[in-house]
Amino acid sequence: MDVFGIIVAALFADNFVLSQFLGICPFLGVSKKISSAAGMGLAVTAVMVITCAITYPIYTFLLAPMGLEYLSILVFILLIASLVQILEMVLKRFSPGLYSAMGIYLPLVTTNCAILGIAKIVTATVTSAEEAGYSFGEVFFGHYVKVNMALGYGEAVLSGLFYGLGFTLAIVLLAGLRQKADKLHVAKALKGFPITMLVACFMAMAFYVFTLI
Amino acid sequence: MTNLILAVGREFQWTTVLVALAIAFGFSLVLGILILLINKFTQVKEDPRIKEVEKCLAGANCGACGYPGCAGFAKALVEGKANLDSCGQTPTDKRIEISNILGIEVSGNAEPTIAVVGCSGGVKCQDKYEYQGYGDCVSQNLLAGGRKACEVGCMGAGSCVDACPYHAIECREGYAHVDPELCRSCGLCIQTCPKSLIKRVPVSAKVYVACSTQCRGKDVMSKCQAGCIACGKCERNCPVGAIHLVNNVPIIDYSKCIHCYKCLEGCPRHCIKYVYPEDVPNSSETAEQAK
Repeated sequence: MDVFGIIVAALFADNFVLSQFLGICPFLGVSKKISSAAGMGLAVTAVMVITCAITYPIYTFLLAPMGLEYLSILVFILLIASLVQILEMVLKRFSPGLYSAMGIYLPLVTTNCAILGIAKIVTATVTSAEEAGYSFGEVFFGHYVKVNMALGYGEAVLSGLFYGLGFTLAIVLLAGLRQKADKLHVAKALKGFPITMLVACFMAMAFYVFTLI
Repeated sequence: MTNLILAVGREFQWTTVLVALAIAFGFSLVLGILILLINKFTQVKEDPRIKEVEKCLAGANCGACGYPGCAGFAKALVEGKANLDSCGQTPTDKRIEISNILGIEVSGNAEPTIAVVGCSGGVKCQDKYEYQGYGDCVSQNLLAGGRKACEVGCMGAGSCVDACPYHAIECREGYAHVDPELCRSCGLCIQTCPKSLIKRVPVSAKVYVACSTQCRGKDVMSKCQAGCIACGKCERNCPVGAIHLVNNVPIIDYSKCIHCYKCLEGCPRHCIKYVYPEDVPNSSETAEQAK
């Protein structure tokens, strides 16, 4: 398992917002203040970890062996939405402090494209049973699942965590730059949202350098 | 039917559809039941009084009480953490209603307040340098404490105007004016002003001191034509002893003030002002006075 590779790719080179263009809505919508941006980033990270931890086994145990890859989006959406709902209820009951910090952002990110994106990315590493040449008897709880779970599960959860942290990094950076840009004297046509788009554009160009390494 | 399917050029696999349906339905059912169960176990019982109290509050969500919005204040009230007097906007009858709901006493002697600006320099106060940059007091203050020669001079760049949710503040003649009819004393301008010039006075107050400088008279003379020179005339003129000079600034004790306007009439620098513009005798007379 190439831990270092995953971390660098998730944080910089393959950054969700700035190089894959996923999760733009929360990136531009909740980046007015650093505090709310950090809350949003944490919520996205938490949901991404849960997503990876749940969707990867479901995919390897159930969908891939049965050849139902085309159902993955439907099943993932169902799973993620209900698990986030459960997480929200549990947080509200047992940890009101954490709930007030990121609780309001949790429902916002349930069906975000970044979350679906991470699910598709980690499950894409699973080779389908047909391609690997396993017989139907072997795939259910057999050798096929063992190989995939042993190789990929830790990697999947780790990717979830660090892709989430990469999102947090990008959104907190943008929030800081936006707070500065609000104080600047810019041309009237660029004031507010346009200058934010430009700032995000320059950030993406800066992050592009990491893909060349 | 078979002909139709063949015409599309594809065999219709009923088993695939059924499996997909079964999986989708199964997942939804299991997750739905799971959510229902967890919801049962983790239900948070919210005090119904919080909603009732919140309805009675002013609902401006200004945050002047120190809690996040009126909902947060209502929660703190029900928990007994907050004091009802720290909300200056809720009318008295609503306060009594809240005190009935919660069974707490409302002191009633907390008089509503309004904000006044403790500076009337503006264009009469000299500039230290010419400021060229973003026109916000907060950012201007970062550069050597703002452009005004006076340490506590209003820069008139309107940070408080932007902060006020009620549009009660405007900048005229180079300094900020509060419209007492619109002000709800939420305190946002007080937090915003980088010079801490804005202060609260009771609504019954008729006059206020529109200067905050603690410098001696001679220093003030050289910088500002509207600044208080700490001559002490107002202190001597006051028939009830409600004004005292503290650190070269007159402080008015509003509990003693009898609204005789002697302090205002005697002030050689016209830096004691009317709180309400309608109290000003008439504009031509004041113009003469100013001359």
